[in-house]
Amino acid sequence: MTGRSADAHRPPAVVFEEVSKFYGEVLGVNRVTLNIPPGITSLVGPNGSGKTTLMNLMTGLIHPDHGRILMRGISPRDPETLMRITGYATQYDSAPRWATGFTFITTGLLLFGYGRAEAEEKAWKALERLGLTDAANRKVAAYSKGMRQRVRLAQAIAHDPDLLVLDEPLNGLDPLVRAETIDLFRAWAAAGKHVIISSHVLQEVDIISDQVVLIANGMIMAEGKIRDVRDEIEEHPSQYFVHCRDASGVAALLFGEDHVTEIRLNDDRMGMLVMTRDRERFARALGRIALDGHPIDGVVPADENVDALYEYLIGGE
Amino acid sequence: MAAGVPSLTVRARQAWTIATVELRRVFFARRALWVYGLALLPAVIFFGHGVAVKYRGDQLARRGVIQPALMDSVREGEAVADVKQRLGKPAEERWSVRSKRVRQHEGDTGITTHVIEPAVEARFVRLNVSRPSYSGEPFARIYEFEVYGPEGSKNLALGRPATGSEPCGTEQGPERAVNGSVAGGEADSWCSGDRPLFLQVDLGAALPVKRFVVKHASAGGEDEESDTREFNIQVSTEGKAFTTVESSTGAGFVEERTEYRQITYFDGRREARLLFVDGTLESRHIDRLLNFEEDRLIFAGIFQFFYLRLAIFFGCLGVFMYLFRGEMTNRTLHYWFLAPARREVLLAGKYAAGLIAAAVIFGGGALFTFAAMLWPHDAVEIQAYWNAGGLGHAFWYATAAALGCVGYGSVFLALGLYIRNPIVPAAVLLAWEGVNGILPHALQKLSILYYLQSLCPVPPPMDDEAPTLIRLLAAPAAPASRPAAILGLVVLTAFVLWIAARAVRRMQISYGSDA
Repeated sequence: MTGRSADAHRPPAVVFEEVSKFYGEVLGVNRVTLNIPPGITSLVGPNGSGKTTLMNLMTGLIHPDHGRILMRGISPRDPETLMRITGYATQYDSAPRWATGFTFITTGLLLFGYGRAEAEEKAWKALERLGLTDAANRKVAAYSKGMRQRVRLAQAIAHDPDLLVLDEPLNGLDPLVRAETIDLFRAWAAAGKHVIISSHVLQEVDIISDQVVLIANGMIMAEGKIRDVRDEIEEHPSQYFVHCRDASGVAALLFGEDHVTEIRLNDDRMGMLVMTRDRERFARALGRIALDGHPIDGVVPADENVDALYEYLIGGE
Repeated sequence: MAAGVPSLTVRARQAWTIATVELRRVFFARRALWVYGLALLPAVIFFGHGVAVKYRGDQLARRGVIQPALMDSVREGEAVADVKQRLGKPAEERWSVRSKRVRQHEGDTGITTHVIEPAVEARFVRLNVSRPSYSGEPFARIYEFEVYGPEGSKNLALGRPATGSEPCGTEQGPERAVNGSVAGGEADSWCSGDRPLFLQVDLGAALPVKRFVVKHASAGGEDEESDTREFNIQVSTEGKAFTTVESSTGAGFVEERTEYRQITYFDGRREARLLFVDGTLESRHIDRLLNFEEDRLIFAGIFQFFYLRLAIFFGCLGVFMYLFRGEMTNRTLHYWFLAPARREVLLAGKYAAGLIAAAVIFGGGALFTFAAMLWPHDAVEIQAYWNAGGLGHAFWYATAAALGCVGYGSVFLALGLYIRNPIVPAAVLLAWEGVNGILPHALQKLSILYYLQSLCPVPPPMDDEAPTLIRLLAAPAAPASRPAAILGLVVLTAFVLWIAARAVRRMQISYGSDA
């Protein structure tokens, strides 16, 4: 607490220092170091890349095997303090059997120490924000998937937290609510709060994010402002194996393309390794070469990680 | 919102909020149904017993009530008729005759005499043995076979040529059965094991015969069981066509008949069951239809053996083991973990919910059973019992049940945090609690049961005839005083809950298939 005045100039951050988490033998996340300032931050990566693990680590649902985590200066091992300023909408699609949307959120708020009237008022406000007032008194178990998604979101924001952790929050929202939710994120971000959201589609979040963190296989691939990350990915040369009978002929043609930086022919002359800075132009060039009468038997990406991620995030959907 | 450390009241309120939510889950879970069943089963049995006794009392009273003094006047050895004359018509009378066949023991059982009327002409007389002994031995033994004429004192078969089925040995041929003596031991008899078993005598000429005497094994000094059991006698004039003149089942049986008569009298409170054997009073049992002392002892036994050792143990297993495990399965535990509350507060809230539910179910169940036990008894008797500390008994039973939930609840809550499958630890714990009575005193203090038993107002009924091991297991030595027992239990529970708190602080959400 004594450092508070000194830190006041610097906005409080979400800090990961060399954090690793294993599930038995299986790696969850590996040596993650992050420093996330307030604003909207997107964790982007394919399914199973470790986004949820990072979020569970942030909120203390799981504990790291190595490393240290501080959420705006608070350890996730202290839920009594941390959860007071944190809201986490998980992807776990379950709700207590007894709960209606309204009682579910109200009960959560009672644990914050609000009186019943105040808790009910805040619960109602949160439900209103997510367009759930009509369903407020129905059992959550009877909601549609999208409504359950929204009620979890409503629960996470009901106590007006400074730190929002939202796992795939835009999944299952209809366009209107989606736009409203994004406006909400922006308003919070403008107020100096952390809004950390995850997504497996970069396009979904890149216009709204102040920064993105790209994750694959439990490792941070890139981190920073969205512009920088995109450039970083695009400048990263990718490698492909091209299988063809007329390898030297194809190689000669490919050398004429300025995005191709290197070609290594196989000894058997039946294929080559090509490095390119631009996937799309490379693909177009291969198409032209094939049409010109040089049969291409197959193209296999050789640089799995970055390429697969790129394909998945940008090319995918 | 004030920063800094929340006060104890804030945490207590959080725990209570958690408890109220959890209470609903514990009380109304489908899983809890059998817990209610366990808690109420003895009440149902006592109630059924009460109804049955009341029905029987009414039934007996309708058939006549006698003076208690008259009932007590009946003495063993009295005759049925005398008792009935003095006491009047009984409320119930049942009788039965049992008969059993016994071998005749009077007279010379080894010798049978067969007289045929009228006499027949015969030269060849044949004895066919179909069942050679009572014991089941397959050997026929005939010491002497005698044949007499109509007026006769002369044995026509004596010394005559005899044939028969293959003898047991050369010394026991057919001639030995017509030699006029039985005193010479086994060598003085005909013996054969070769079926069909028969002995045939040639009288020399066709003569009128009227009487046959057969001397069986016991006539020669062998065991009665070796006597011939079934045989017939045939005659023939020419040795080919034989006519059966006599069939016999040996020395035969007599029937022993015994008459049992049970008469019941009722004096409005007691039932006298009088058993007469062959008309005289053999035994009398005078019992109260409802025995308050006995019922209270039975309740004490049910409480100690059923409630403390079984129902509360398994009930707490069902309730507490799943407080965390159940929410892990339902994937709802993270909602609690994401609340701004210490994990210890969550533990306290859940424990409180389980405790309230279990204490209400089992404390209530025990009191309900206590009430069902009291119900059929006389109001005056109950009043007297109440004045003599009955209320205290009820209080301590309910307290012991509730404290049982305190202790077992904490243990199963902790176990549920560490272990996934409840069967093995439950079995180990049950065994530990079971054998605790024979362990050293220091180890006994690590058992919940030790403290609970010290709280029970009435020791369980225990026969002196019960095996030593069972007596040892059921009644631990050196019960603690009540305050010491409660204190000990609370200390033990606090220790177990501290262990549980360590586990819940380290607990992580893992719903299986999430990355």
